[in-house]
Amino acid sequence: MNQPPTETAASHELGHRARSIAAILWSAFLAAALATMLCFAFIDPEALRSGDPPEWWSSRLHVYAVGFFFFWLIGLVSAALCWQLSRGTR
Amino acid sequence: MNEVRIPIHGSGQSLYVAEEKVYPREVSGRFANLRTLSVWVLLGIFYVFPWIDWNDRQAVLFDLPARKFFIFGLVFWPQDFIFLTWLLIIAALSLFFFTAVAGRLWCGYACPQTVWTETFLWMERLTEGDRNARLKLDRGPWDANKLLRKGAKQILWVSFALWTGFTFVGFFSPIRQLAGDVLAWSAGPWETFWIFFYGFATYGNAGFLREQVCKYMCPYARFQGAMFDHDTLVITYDKERGEPRGARKRGTDPRAQGLGDCIDCTWCVQVCPTGIDIRQGLQIECIACAACIDACDEIMDKMGSPRGLIRYTTQHALEHQPTRVMRPRVLIYAGLLSALVVGFVVALALRSPVSLDVLRDRNTLYRLTDDGQVDNVYTLRILNKTEKEQRFRIEARGGSVLTLLPQREYVVGSGAVYSLPLRVRRAAYEPLGPETIEITARSVDDPKVHATTDARFLAPTR
Repeated sequence: MNQPPTETAASHELGHRARSIAAILWSAFLAAALATMLCFAFIDPEALRSGDPPEWWSSRLHVYAVGFFFFWLIGLVSAALCWQLSRGTR
Repeated sequence: MNEVRIPIHGSGQSLYVAEEKVYPREVSGRFANLRTLSVWVLLGIFYVFPWIDWNDRQAVLFDLPARKFFIFGLVFWPQDFIFLTWLLIIAALSLFFFTAVAGRLWCGYACPQTVWTETFLWMERLTEGDRNARLKLDRGPWDANKLLRKGAKQILWVSFALWTGFTFVGFFSPIRQLAGDVLAWSAGPWETFWIFFYGFATYGNAGFLREQVCKYMCPYARFQGAMFDHDTLVITYDKERGEPRGARKRGTDPRAQGLGDCIDCTWCVQVCPTGIDIRQGLQIECIACAACIDACDEIMDKMGSPRGLIRYTTQHALEHQPTRVMRPRVLIYAGLLSALVVGFVVALALRSPVSLDVLRDRNTLYRLTDDGQVDNVYTLRILNKTEKEQRFRIEARGGSVLTLLPQREYVVGSGAVYSLPLRVRRAAYEPLGPETIEITARSVDDPKVHATTDARFLAPTR
């Protein structure tokens, strides 16, 4: 295509990194959506409520949301590690 | 196994923003009509379904806070999660099946990305004109005309995206009430967030990212090639017939000039929503929308050549070998798929309309009464999955005569859970020791509505 020939190694690297970050975020997002669905299909947050629950446990929707972001975080860690390890040692 | 040549352009060479903008030319023809029909049907379902009522409630509602899914006459509970899993497996297998038979049908006609991009393109054409007008407009200065056209497009896009976000949330939160809240500017924080989130996603994906979603974000696009073989229908340019390509006068015989049927008008490239040249062979960017087929057919008609220079065909057919539709992978996918669909329908039809949980009282094992009887205390939870209110009567069966206390009927509303304490009594030493009993909740109104659960009845062993 009509790529400008002036593209330097640095900007190339940046593009590659931006794409990797996008792929990490996106794959973790998909995994988190799946994990949230599976987890809360079997676990009712209301049934786990006991004693004095933290403030964010105030409604099911809040627990779903917190659960989603938690799973996203775990997915991010996994995807980022995978990216790091598969890059090789150089 | 898969020897289809798939050239990949610019891999790892460019940022997302460095992508060249694709200006698809408008196309008409058989496959364009098919896609238009598909857009109307699918978007019709999406935008209309939340407004349909069924038995005094929204026909399709995924009520997450209440953990209930309503789909027309059916109510799904977390206990029915198996059906959702089952449905997803059926969906995945259908995707495999259709991909093996006819390539990326899903991408070309049914994928939300395709469907919404098509709609956004219509709005773009309405405001900015056809391909040439859009190219000229983008190259030209920011004058009043450009401002007006671009502004009108943005107004259309943003309104449509917000309406889409609102409809999406309407599947999870009763839409009529939501509409009132939105109009009164008093929608809750979650609703507001998701309307804007989904609206933004629609706007971004269908307005700007477009083919890049298919190229960089879609997992299916990456692995669909594995389901292809030489008998899969793919959209292909007939190189043998088309080459050597070149311009010629209408009505002249191309063969006499040493030319093939391709006049190199590049219409197939101009209509392509992913901006590829199908004449270079099957490429991973191709979403099988068949726009190039329609475009080329139109040109062939004008040139007086037979249609189908670009067409749905198989690798084997191009190599002049017979195409086998019935082949092991197709038969296996079809067999599994029909078994799963039949199983799904049967299981859904036989789904118990009521569920019963029996929990033993945790504090006492049993209690002996003064007149030589033994009592066990349970908590029963009756879940009425039917669409009507039901009056339930409780029955218990064991090795001896069981008495239930209290003896009464319990009214359980549609979709409601009713918890009740139940005392079961029998002679203390006859039979001796614990036994397993059956507890049944049966509707007085409709004897077919019943559920039975086993429970442990404890009694002294001596």
